[in-house]
Amino acid sequence: MTVHSENGLTRPMLTAQNVTKTYQQHVAVNDVSLEVSQGEVVSIIGPSGAGKSTFLRCMNFLEVPTSGTVTIGERSITIGPDHKSPSRKEVAALRRGAGMVFQSFNLFPHLTVLRNVSLPQERVLGRSRSEADERSRALLERVGLSQKADAYPSKCSGGQQQRVAIARALALDPPVMLFDEPTSALDPEVGAEVLAVMKELARDGMTMIVVTHEMAFARDVSDRMLVMADGGVLECGDPRVIMKQPTHPRTERFLSAVLDR
Amino acid sequence: MIESLRYIAIGIGATLTITSSAFVIGAILGLPLAALRRSQFMVLRAMARVYVELVRSVPPLVWLFLVFFGLPQAGVSLVPLAAAILTFSLIAAAYMSEIYRGGLAALGRGQWEASSAVGLSPLDTARFILGPQVFRVVGPTMATYGIGLLKDSALASTIGVVEITFRAGAEAQRTGSGLTVFLTAGIFYLLLSLPLALASRRVDSRLRARYSIA
Amino acid sequence: MIDDLLGWTEYVPELAGGLGVALKLTAISLLLGYPLGLLLVLITDGSSKLLRGLGLVIVEFGRGIPLLVLLLIVYQGLPQVELTPTAMVSAVVAFTWSAGAYSTEIIRASLAAVPRGQSEAADAAGMSDRERFRFIIFPQAARLAIPPLMNLAVQWFQFSSLAYVITVPEIMQSAYFQGTVTFDYLSVFIAAAFIYAAVTIPTSALVTRLEARLGRHL
Repeated sequence: MTVHSENGLTRPMLTAQNVTKTYQQHVAVNDVSLEVSQGEVVSIIGPSGAGKSTFLRCMNFLEVPTSGTVTIGERSITIGPDHKSPSRKEVAALRRGAGMVFQSFNLFPHLTVLRNVSLPQERVLGRSRSEADERSRALLERVGLSQKADAYPSKCSGGQQQRVAIARALALDPPVMLFDEPTSALDPEVGAEVLAVMKELARDGMTMIVVTHEMAFARDVSDRMLVMADGGVLECGDPRVIMKQPTHPRTERFLSAVLDR
Repeated sequence: MIESLRYIAIGIGATLTITSSAFVIGAILGLPLAALRRSQFMVLRAMARVYVELVRSVPPLVWLFLVFFGLPQAGVSLVPLAAAILTFSLIAAAYMSEIYRGGLAALGRGQWEASSAVGLSPLDTARFILGPQVFRVVGPTMATYGIGLLKDSALASTIGVVEITFRAGAEAQRTGSGLTVFLTAGIFYLLLSLPLALASRRVDSRLRARYSIA
Repeated sequence: MIDDLLGWTEYVPELAGGLGVALKLTAISLLLGYPLGLLLVLITDGSSKLLRGLGLVIVEFGRGIPLLVLLLIVYQGLPQVELTPTAMVSAVVAFTWSAGAYSTEIIRASLAAVPRGQSEAADAAGMSDRERFRFIIFPQAARLAIPPLMNLAVQWFQFSSLAYVITVPEIMQSAYFQGTVTFDYLSVFIAAAFIYAAVTIPTSALVTRLEARLGRHL
């Protein structure tokens, strides 16, 4: 099932075509396709075990798909019987197109907040230390954490750590941002500060794909909603429409379960 | 008594020479060995694994005798001190590689994933992200292994290295008071391991405080 | 060529007797050492200050002094106080001492690793201290302690080679003797290494599997 972008005029920023991921006997993602236009925000929702995170991780090859094609900007990698496996360089080039924010933050605990944001810029983009630091400080300001620049991650709350992680990903100027359940490890009130940063990003026109359980965020911020279950797509479309009138009975069951909570 | 103490203390030099040489050489050789365990080539992985398993499943005394008594048959004759350092270095390399491996495993996949997601190369990941963290995580374990090496170095007395235990044996022969002499030697080892024991505990608690490593 | 490479195998049977002695030494010192370890846990956690100090000294000496030196303390030291244990008895005493000290640490760590919530749950269920220990804490701690205690056994089998120094006729003693007769030290010690590896590798593998099984419900 291919899901096309609503707005046919803008060029697709990221395309996942027929992505399948199997582990031994288990099919985690079953032939899912998604096209995301520039500036679009897509939420992926669904019950746990639906394959949402695996699908997202296939987009920057943290999981190598068993088959399928991923295109980000100009870079494209196809996995399949007729294609040789991609080189490290090709994967690295594709990843440059997408910033990733993890559920568990994964900040580097031995580096200060500032170094967390600066180091990748220096090593990957070849920026000088002062250039990188300047950019990092601007980004930390943007996520509201200028005062934490010299602290170590362990001295930051979960919400602060996640905002640093967002700054770290933004520092490489990726055209697309991938969020893997960015607030699931956080208390609701702390999660809110992270969601606020994400909302602002969306308003500034960032292309975003967000795996989330935050239904309010999915409804208010995203342009489209992709509902997954058992590795496949149940439906995809305007979040308000889906939440009001789901076409698939499984979507309905899922929605009533999470919204009643 | 004081005389015995002085006599045995002369062996401290050789004991520390063996221990520190083997520790440093083992720590260095352990790095490529640990890297081989993660190689993408099965043959290299298997070779590294066989080395580690083999070293660990044969007692140090046997390796020491193989090197000191056995190698001359293959044309390599070493003086006792060199034989001891070589043997314990090769053994230490195997254990250190396991310690590094454990440290890497303790870091978990998250660090690896985050650094590849931000596009760091494998070499950069090792140098800036995994390396510094692994060394801090494995510091206490390495210190503990250092204490083990210190104790193992006593074996060198069996091939005639003039270290603490060897001197104690000679002194026991001379004076006939084996109990006091060997207890003294034992206490020397306890005292020598004290700094390492303290270091391991201090590093440990400092780390826990700073990185909140469980 | 093959003859050259496999020449060492002819020495393996010569060392079989030594293997028997090594296994006996290992088994006896562990059968005595494990209970000693438990006893030392009770003593060092007990209320008597004197016993606690004594237990602490036994544990710290047993762990901190090289086993080789412990052997010499017993074998060459006790005659100074008019005790003359045989080589085998000396070895058993030194090995038991050290095994006791190490198992103390293992047992203590395993008890400490049982989560506090377990004690609280047992208390909340109205169990007595005894019941709590017997039905809740001990079974969980035992699962944690068994694999390291078995690894200790593997290690002790390897340590049995040290008894060579005080003339216990174990594997290394037999090997060294063969060496002095044939001057073929290389082959003789390869044969010895083979025997140690042949016992250690399968046993370690077994412990690893057991560890996985025991860990299944924790």
